[in-house]
Amino acid sequence: MTDRQYAALWPRGPRQAKVKPLAKRLDTLEGKTIAWVWDYVFRGNEVFEQLEKSLAAKYPGVKFLHWDLFGNTHGSDERNVVANLPQKLRELGADAVVSGMGC
Amino acid sequence: MTLAKAASQGLGFPNIAVAPVRGHPGLQSKEALQQNVRELTLNGVIDNLLTMPAAKAVGGEPGVRDIVCTGSFEEVNEYFLAHQLSDGLPVVPPTVEKVEAFLKYTDRKADEVIGVMLPDNRAATVWSVAVNGVMAGCRPEYMPVLVAAVEAMADHAYGVEHSGNTPGGDNLIILNGPVIKELGFNYTQGVMRDGFQANTSVGRFWRLCLRNIAGFLPHGNDKATFGNTWRVVVAENEDVVKKIGWTPNCADYGFAAGSNALSVGRYTGGNHISSVSGAKPEDLMPYIADAVVRQYSWQLMFSVGQGYDTLRPLLLLSPIIAETIAGGGWSKQKFREELFAQARMPARRFEQILRDWTQKPTWNLKEEHEAGRIPKIFHESDDPERLVPVVWKPADFQVVVTGDLGRNSIYVFAHNGVLGFPVCKEIKGAKTAGVARG
Repeated sequence: MTDRQYAALWPRGPRQAKVKPLAKRLDTLEGKTIAWVWDYVFRGNEVFEQLEKSLAAKYPGVKFLHWDLFGNTHGSDERNVVANLPQKLRELGADAVVSGMGC
Repeated sequence: MTLAKAASQGLGFPNIAVAPVRGHPGLQSKEALQQNVRELTLNGVIDNLLTMPAAKAVGGEPGVRDIVCTGSFEEVNEYFLAHQLSDGLPVVPPTVEKVEAFLKYTDRKADEVIGVMLPDNRAATVWSVAVNGVMAGCRPEYMPVLVAAVEAMADHAYGVEHSGNTPGGDNLIILNGPVIKELGFNYTQGVMRDGFQANTSVGRFWRLCLRNIAGFLPHGNDKATFGNTWRVVVAENEDVVKKIGWTPNCADYGFAAGSNALSVGRYTGGNHISSVSGAKPEDLMPYIADAVVRQYSWQLMFSVGQGYDTLRPLLLLSPIIAETIAGGGWSKQKFREELFAQARMPARRFEQILRDWTQKPTWNLKEEHEAGRIPKIFHESDDPERLVPVVWKPADFQVVVTGDLGRNSIYVFAHNGVLGFPVCKEIKGAKTAGVARG
């Protein structure tokens, strides 16, 4: 006796994301403005603080935008915070963004 | 794999650069963390800001109606296991015939997109709902319930993208309406136990959708530390609710009593509270309130901090407990008000959990209140021993009547706040078996 045969369908949903280009990288960090964007977990405030000290010592004139200018990217207002990021970053003159913390 | 790497593909940035942090920041001294940032993270940040990562393509995959495997029951299941399409239990092979049987129980087009879900950024179509419903062992007539469940999953307020977070909480579906009896959901003894096809298979369906549609895979972008298995559906005992003059769970979300509706929410755990004793509601409340407070530790961050007013504790009351409370003349609203008044902890402890034990940055109830971010009830004095609530208002408590008709128990769930916020959806077009359309 032969086992019954089944033709099984693909169960996953169709992907919607298209690969997007990353932002152009900087030629130097000297004199540039780096924004810290934080999800308010995993001691990112301390990590950013140490990064600021080290980067400032290495790259003269580098400036930083504190994470509290942007709000929590992982809280009850996260969708608004993330949606408002592009405009805020432009208004504040950010040249680059470092977003953390993950685990 | 870090979460950032795992989630980046679904966001369209498969080559995004990540600067590593050595170890877990929560277990390092200040000095060790600073040293690790200087020695490792710093170089990663500099490289990522100055050097463009190499381009990375996303691999192709089958189309949504493609047959991916033909074979025996065992062969199909081996394929689904090997390709991470199954939860580890045997699945019902999703054939075209079985899927079409499910589609007869909805008026919606098979290709209709119910929502798009992170982290994989995949569309949940009516078709994919049916496919995963078949796999989970659902009956075709459950289809309207499955569609409503995925509508809830796709609701931005629920936040499905957080379903792979560290605490690994899992969803609970609460069901209301005539559909409970029509489709044979258990709403009495052992309501959270597997063994009832409707409750069990719909619960399993939810987890399969998280895997196959949202894209959560353990050892990939499901970062649960321990995790949970999926929860079976809890149906409310509407006979008892009506008898005691209360309103069903769906009414708290704006649906009339008697509506077919389901609510969802994510819970990191829970506890059965036995022997809730007393002849009057006043006798029962101290024990119930104490049980609620004991369920809440780090989750307080969803009341103040990471989320503001997003904590929604859920209590299941066994029928005779609800009857005793109602017998004292208490409405559901009165019960919640008393719970709000009694389920409290010293402010000192509230702050200690958030600030000291879990190392959250600056959260102090006085500062939060003075900044206008939380209500005065959290800071009515500077006395550290003052009692503060775990939620902002009585309506934040979810109360459902269900379970064994003869036992004096409650069950309290620890809610995961904004990372699985409760939402409720109407179940449209539910029909009993044998009345499929067409």
